[in-house]
Amino acid sequence: MNHVKLLFFATIRDRAGVRSVELDVPADITVKDLKEKISADYPTLKDSLKSVLVAIDREYAFDEAIVPPNAEIAFFPPVSGG
Amino acid sequence: MKRLCRQMQRSLSFHRSAADNKIMSQFPTIFSITESEIDLNDLLARITLTSTGAAAIFTGMVRGITSRDDPHETEYLEYEAYVPMAEAKMKQVAEEIRTKWPVVEGIAIVQRIGKLYPKTPTVLIACTAAHRDTGVFDAARYGIDRLKEIVPVWKKEVSPDGAEWIEGDYIPKAGE
Repeated sequence: MNHVKLLFFATIRDRAGVRSVELDVPADITVKDLKEKISADYPTLKDSLKSVLVAIDREYAFDEAIVPPNAEIAFFPPVSGG
Repeated sequence: MKRLCRQMQRSLSFHRSAADNKIMSQFPTIFSITESEIDLNDLLARITLTSTGAAAIFTGMVRGITSRDDPHETEYLEYEAYVPMAEAKMKQVAEEIRTKWPVVEGIAIVQRIGKLYPKTPTVLIACTAAHRDTGVFDAARYGIDRLKEIVPVWKKEVSPDGAEWIEGDYIPKAGE
């Protein structure tokens, strides 16, 4: 198992009700599988996770990516700065 | 002789190499997420070199009354950022500007976060160059467009009708 830290922002944080959470995940888990695990843990996030952006260690990551040990994984909606 | 040297330097400058990139990296590049007021004069001074003759500055502010598309009023916007990634992505935007417009000298990219009221500047992108006809306007335009695509910042709009998170529509691709 790998220890990872999840961060939630904007709508995702509001729906999850937490800013961050630490958990252990299987060593070869992909971003896609991690999203499914989070949907199960936080049912309120199920719909938002369909269009969520994911960043691993501050770089955009996609469904097939493998989550590395001690990763910081952020989940957020498309950005709206400016 | 002096003129010849200058001409040689000028023609050399069209062929940028790793050595030039090293010189470019000495140009001032400022990128930050801040909760403080954006100080245009200070930023401009920091990206102005003795060789600078032009600056293109874009700043966006909170619009209290929107007429276009979906007309509505805004009481305030509440901005939040994933700060370390946002600053890394701003640095990336600055690097992209330097690749596309090697003539750009200084670059400042600043996003203010927190609760911001109408008329308050929220973001600033400034690029400097020797002259105004160097692409410096396009460079600043590119900077703000790119910030709105890849820099992880979000705003919640609070209006008389309630609060709503504003979401963008850009999906970054691998390597962005």
